[in-house]
This record gives sequence, structure tokens and C-alpha cells, in this order.
Amino acid sequence: MTIGSGALATAGAPADGTIERGPGRRGVGTAALALAILLGLLLGFASGLLAPGLFRPGDGSPEAGFARDMSSHHAQAVEMSILAHEKSTDPDVRTLSADIALTQQAQIGTMQAWLKTWKLNPTGSQPRMAWMPDAAGAVKNGLMPGMATDAQRAELRAATGRDFDVLFLRLMLDHHLGGIHMAEGILDLSDDAQVTALAKSMVAGQKKEIELIQSLLGRFGAR
Amino acid sequence: MSISTSGGEQRRPSVVSTGKKAPAGGKPAEDGKAAGTKPAEGKAAGAKPAGTAAKTNPAGRVPANRPGGGGGKKPQQRRPVTPVRVSQGRSWGSIGLFVAVGVVTAAIIGYGAYAVIQNGKSWEDKASAIDGITNFRESDPSVVDPFPGKQSHEPGPLTYKITPPVGSSHNNAWQNCMGDVYDAPIANEHAVHSLEHGAVWVTYKSDLPADQVEQLAAKVRGNEFMLMSPVQNLDRPISLQAWGYQLKLDTAGDGRIDDFIGALRQNASMEPGAPCSGGITATGTAPRDNVQGDQPQAPVGG
Repeated sequence: MTIGSGALATAGAPADGTIERGPGRRGVGTAALALAILLGLLLGFASGLLAPGLFRPGDGSPEAGFARDMSSHHAQAVEMSILAHEKSTDPDVRTLSADIALTQQAQIGTMQAWLKTWKLNPTGSQPRMAWMPDAAGAVKNGLMPGMATDAQRAELRAATGRDFDVLFLRLMLDHHLGGIHMAEGILDLSDDAQVTALAKSMVAGQKKEIELIQSLLGRFGAR
Repeated sequence: MSISTSGGEQRRPSVVSTGKKAPAGGKPAEDGKAAGTKPAEGKAAGAKPAGTAAKTNPAGRVPANRPGGGGGKKPQQRRPVTPVRVSQGRSWGSIGLFVAVGVVTAAIIGYGAYAVIQNGKSWEDKASAIDGITNFRESDPSVVDPFPGKQSHEPGPLTYKITPPVGSSHNNAWQNCMGDVYDAPIANEHAVHSLEHGAVWVTYKSDLPADQVEQLAAKVRGNEFMLMSPVQNLDRPISLQAWGYQLKLDTAGDGRIDDFIGALRQNASMEPGAPCSGGITATGTAPRDNVQGDQPQAPVGG
């Protein structure tokens, strides 16, 4: 082999030399290139694996805080609405309460599914409402804006007739005002399409329900 | 410095670099060392090829030269040596840069991977990492399984194997667990059903100081899938329960309380999606059917 190449080289010195050198260098160059490509592919693969984890909302993100806090906020609305559906004798109140209970329970499911997809626990490590910058002091006695106190819930359980309907509507009015405040808070903070879409629907839906609640309170003479 | 210098030279023909490459050596191409060592090339022909040829030649010529031995060394020598050395001289800077970039890249990716993996740890792993927690699902399933010969839903009073219970058969009605803080003991038969729905049940010995009771209540109030009550005959000041899990503690300031709630609240549910509202809100250790009208006043507290 060597001899052969030598002979060739001798024959046409420049050309041969070029050829021989070329392959040697090219061999090295090709190997380096292949290695670089391989590394690039591996890096790309690794970042492809990691990117979804890096870019989905983290434990302290506004999206996670919203999903957790709004789930709890909704859970109380569902509790009061189920109670109203059981106890109220007014068809409009029963219809409204069924609407609220079923809608908000479905939204809880959606928000809990986000948390699962983001690999986050239903319970966060930060205090309630910490994700909302201007919400300092909004949590009173462990309750987020608009939530009924334990005493108010007890009062609702004990009430009957018109008193019950009026109390339910008033509590739900406050509840919706607090909920809209939180939903508008996440709209200021998040660009996550599914989060903002749900928050917008909450704002719109609860505003409509507030109108209905106010008209019902008017009919009860309790506005 | 060196980088810029070498870069400048680079532009120039390889010849220039030759001088450099033997940093110690003199400029002249003649530097015997480099030239001499490698090729003993002496091709007449080799010299000729114009600059272009010269670059390429070196390697090829070597073999040819050996046999012949020969003359015009300088051009040849310079050519082969130069490129190699030049690149070496420069590469230190580039290598340093690449290494630095590589290290930073690896660190970022490594941290990302660590964060993602930590983030993705299962709730079971997070629970088992809590010091002192008992996982009855593994250590003693008989504490969690229905009583022998009984259903999971059994009416009337039941006797549990441990206090407070963390599983097994229970009444149809659950204890309301919408962050309810009960100031008197409640029925195990209902509380266990709450655990099945994913609640964390915070219990404390009746003589726990009031400020610690309040400290615990603050972790419960307003949080669905949480309930709290005093328990008679508790062997430690505080005990936390989720379905199949228990953690006993001495003070309300213990950081493991938050760890327990964070890992197990809702996650430990045997019926994900099952509610905490609509349950029994009365206190008293005698179990009751969840009958309309039998919903004495509310939970106490807050």
C-alpha cells in the first residue's frame, strides 16, 4: 500500500500529494464533523426531552397558584350551590345553583388536570394568593376574596325558605366578585392559552350570573 | 492577546506562522528542527508547485521524499508544519472558549434535568421522604383494608385497629372536609370516609395549647380536603392522617406538617374527584346516618 502510494506520489508529485493529504485530513475532518453532528443531535434530543419540563408552569408560577386557589374557591361555591339545590324551593334559585355547581365542578376538574399535566401537586408550597402581586392581605382567616366564613356556611345550612334564598344569593354574589377578581388577576399575569381562555370564560360567565343574582335579589326585595 | 495575534497572522500565508509555531525557535523557515525532523523531503518538484500546491503537498511528499532524499526542504517543511502548529497555537483560546461554553451548557442542562426530575417526583416518593411517617398501605394493609367479612361501607359503630384510624371500613356519610375545624371529637366512621375522598385529617390531643391549636387551624381553614378535630386517647400531641398514612408529632411548629399536607392532600385519595362537601358537619363520636335534618349546627371554628 505505502509503496503504491509512494509510487503514485512520485509520478505526479503535486497532484498525488494533494490527494493523499486530502484524504488524511478529510478523514479527521469527517470524523470531527460526524462527532459534532452526533453531539448536536444528542443535545437536541436532550433539550427536546427537557424543554417541556422547563417551559411548563412551575410550582411557584402564577398559573399553578391560580389553578390551586381557584379550585378551592370554586369548591366552596359548589358546596353552597349543592346546598341551595337541595334546600331552595324557588325554581330560579334551584336552576342557578345547579348551573353554578356543575359549571364550577367541571372547571375544578380542568384546573386539577392542568396541575397533573404540569406534574404539580394540588397543594402548593406558597401561601394562598401569593401568585397575585396586589393581593397582599386579601386572604383573611385563611379565606380568599369572596369566600364565606365557617360561621356564614353554618348560617346557610341552618336557614330556610326565603331567608335561605336571600342568604345564598348574597353569599354567591360576594363569591363571584372575588372569583372575577382572581380570574382577572391571572389574565394580567399569564400568556398560557388554556389558562387565559378558562379565566376569560369565568369572568364572562360569572358577570352574567351576577346580573341574574341581582335581579333575583330584586325579586326577593333584598337587593 | 495570543488569540488576536495568531488570528492576525493567520490571515497571512502559512509561512509566517511557521516561524511562530516553534515559539522557541527562530522565525526563519529554516528552523531545522521542525523541518528536519519530519520530512527529509527533497523534491525538486515539490518546491515548484505554487503556493496552492505547497499547502497540500506536505503529507504527500513525505513518502516520496524519503526514497529520494533531497533538496528544497524549506518550502515543504514550512508548509506541513505551519498549518498544524498554527492551529494549535490558536486553539488554546478557542478550546478555552468551547470548554467554557460547554461547561455552562452542561450546567444549564444538568440543572434543568435535575429540576424536571425533582418536579416529577411522585407524591408517594415525597411522602416516603418525610421523616417518621408511617405508610400502612405497605407496612400493614390490614389497617387499610375493609374489616374481615365486612364491606368498605358499613353502617353503625366500628372498632378500628389504630387511633386515629387511617383506613378500612366506614359509614356511608363522610365528615364534611371543606377546611372544617371541629372543636370537639368527631366520629371515626365518618372521618375515615373523608380520608378515602382524599382529605388530610389533622388531629390533636385535647390538652394541646391553644396557640398551637390555632397554628394548626390556620393550615386547615379555607382548604377543601382538610379537616381538623381533637381526639381522645391520642398518644402524642398531634397526629396527621391521610388514607393509609400517619405522622405523629409533638408540636404544631413542625415543618413536616406542611410536607405531609403537600404530599398527601388530594393525592392520597382512593376516589379522585370525590367531594368533601355535603358531609356530616356535626361533632360527636357516635356515627350517624347522613339524614336530612340531622345536620346540627356547623363545624366550629373560624
